[in-house]
Amino acid sequence: MNRKSYYGEFGGQFVSESLMNTLEELDEAFEAAICDEKFLADYHYYLKQYVGRETPLYFAERLSKKYGTKIYLKREDLNHTGAHKINNVIGQILLAKRMGKTKVIAETGAGQHGVATATGAALFDMECTVYMGEEDMKRQALNVMRMEMLGAKVECVRSGSNTLKDATNEAIRTWAKTAEDTFYIIGSAVGPYPYPKIVKEFQSVISREAKRQFYEAEKKMPDVVMACVGGGSNSIGMFADFIEEKDVELIGVEAAGKGIKTGEHAAAMAEGIPGTLHGMRSYLLQDGDGNIKLAHSISAGLDYPGVGPEHAYLRDTGRAEYVSITDGEAMDALMELCKLEGIIPAIESAHAIAYAFKKAKDMTENQAMIVCLSGRGDKDVNTIADYLAGKAYLN
Amino acid sequence: MNRIEEKMAHLKEKNEKAFITYMVAGLPDMEGTKALIKAQEEAGTDVIELGVPFSDPVADGPVIQQASYKSICQGTTLSKIFDMMGEVRKEGVEIPIIFMMYSNTIFRYGVEAFVKKCKETGVDGLIIPDLPYEEQEELQKALDKEEGAILIQLVSPVSKKRIPMILEHARGFVYCVSSMGVTGQAAAFHKEIIEYLKSVKEVAKIPVMMGFGIRTPQDIAPMKDIIDGAIVGSHFIKLLEKNNYDVSAAAEYCKSFKAGL
Repeated sequence: MNRKSYYGEFGGQFVSESLMNTLEELDEAFEAAICDEKFLADYHYYLKQYVGRETPLYFAERLSKKYGTKIYLKREDLNHTGAHKINNVIGQILLAKRMGKTKVIAETGAGQHGVATATGAALFDMECTVYMGEEDMKRQALNVMRMEMLGAKVECVRSGSNTLKDATNEAIRTWAKTAEDTFYIIGSAVGPYPYPKIVKEFQSVISREAKRQFYEAEKKMPDVVMACVGGGSNSIGMFADFIEEKDVELIGVEAAGKGIKTGEHAAAMAEGIPGTLHGMRSYLLQDGDGNIKLAHSISAGLDYPGVGPEHAYLRDTGRAEYVSITDGEAMDALMELCKLEGIIPAIESAHAIAYAFKKAKDMTENQAMIVCLSGRGDKDVNTIADYLAGKAYLN
Repeated sequence: MNRIEEKMAHLKEKNEKAFITYMVAGLPDMEGTKALIKAQEEAGTDVIELGVPFSDPVADGPVIQQASYKSICQGTTLSKIFDMMGEVRKEGVEIPIIFMMYSNTIFRYGVEAFVKKCKETGVDGLIIPDLPYEEQEELQKALDKEEGAILIQLVSPVSKKRIPMILEHARGFVYCVSSMGVTGQAAAFHKEIIEYLKSVKEVAKIPVMMGFGIRTPQDIAPMKDIIDGAIVGSHFIKLLEKNNYDVSAAAEYCKSFKAGL
């Protein structure tokens, strides 16, 4: 066992033998890159000039007043392409170029990671194929069109549940065939080592900025830091620099779909059964025979039956707490954020907002929390309209 | 002695090459799987790989994905496959049988309980495509303790410097994957296939089998002198489906492939 690839008992490299050398090459290239000042300068240049960082840490005045505690929003929704996903894509695509790869592939659920990858591929002149489940292509038709406009090929995946899990399977299969010239850009903090580490590294800019911005505003540490968790990329980025600050409470919010008890949800940690999927050992939604169960969430980006291995570790060591929010709760919070602050959040991010309202009840007006607003809701307008019209969502 | 190792020794003695097939357990149904095992033993197949279906088979191409999905939908589970295994062994079937499965199925069952059950029901070997050498420790320890089934090692065209490490304690035979990627890419072998097979053969103390994309004995003619046998998976499944799982059609194919080796 290669201990380095594990977070406690989670993580590892559960991939076919054909990919083991590829992962080793990737690990070496990544470790060298993040110690290379030229690489880091390039990364930060594109984050500033192209992505538009830093993003504001916005004090949500009306929400804070209503809920009786200070609520700060880390505005990842203001990034180019509309979500935090681009932070990681810029990092990985620079790494791909450094490794001499000419093609990139990616999986996508909500389409945000696919759009970010297509964007990066256009910027750096790489051939790009994005794998997306048929069901998600229907739910996120706008993002499909955006990817195509950006020059990417969107490969429709029709197997299993036709969602993110199956798109990931297909991306892994293609990668195993083409790893010699193709770089797989994983969008979430999942997959075989070193991917969870790579994604965390390139998303940790979120907490690095937020920690400094919060200190400038309040001259102290926040009491609570919160983010939604699907695979867990925005949340691991939001937690990263606060993990060592033991007094800061870290809360990850999973999607409870129609309710944990209904079985139709995407809260891998709520069920708490470890297993192996997509190259990692972590908590998974699975049946008694070890087959992976379908996840359910109104939010395509949280509709994933697993979770990143470091989150599983943070949960087991008690450093972070993981809770869940239903479709209905998330949609109520979404509408409230629209009306009180003039911000239309992604449905994913609305899960964190919804739990922030609950958590605020245990907090005083002198305390403060940071909520990661991971993406904007433009892509969700059709889903929101259907929901408000009382129609059942796809899935 | 393990049935696979016994068979390998026997083939070596007779200077014969091995013919190995893959089929998904539970298709057309569990009785049908039994009948296919028996017919193949009779027809001269040397080893059978029995696929334990998993919901997310990332190492498999579309043919095996669809077969696995169909089997799961029909209610196939690991427990039912173990029951069937126990029965065929009681009914006198002696052909070596290897479970080809994904790691999560084993972890969910429990590693120790799984290994015990393999021994009890006469499973001779395991092929686990998502459990590379570095992740095998827990399972390998349990297997060594029980002294029943053995773990078959896979190598790929890009394994290169990993080959000696993987083969050091390997048992039974080495499974050489003929191409990058997934099962069932019709005879599209890796561009450096001959070099690669030779490099494995040089290090291996046990027989070397080739699999992925093989349909006929002609497909492997260029490397016949290097390898010790061939594994046919996706093509065999297609053939079973085309013939409605007819046992005599399956037996006919196995007989003629073995004769052509």
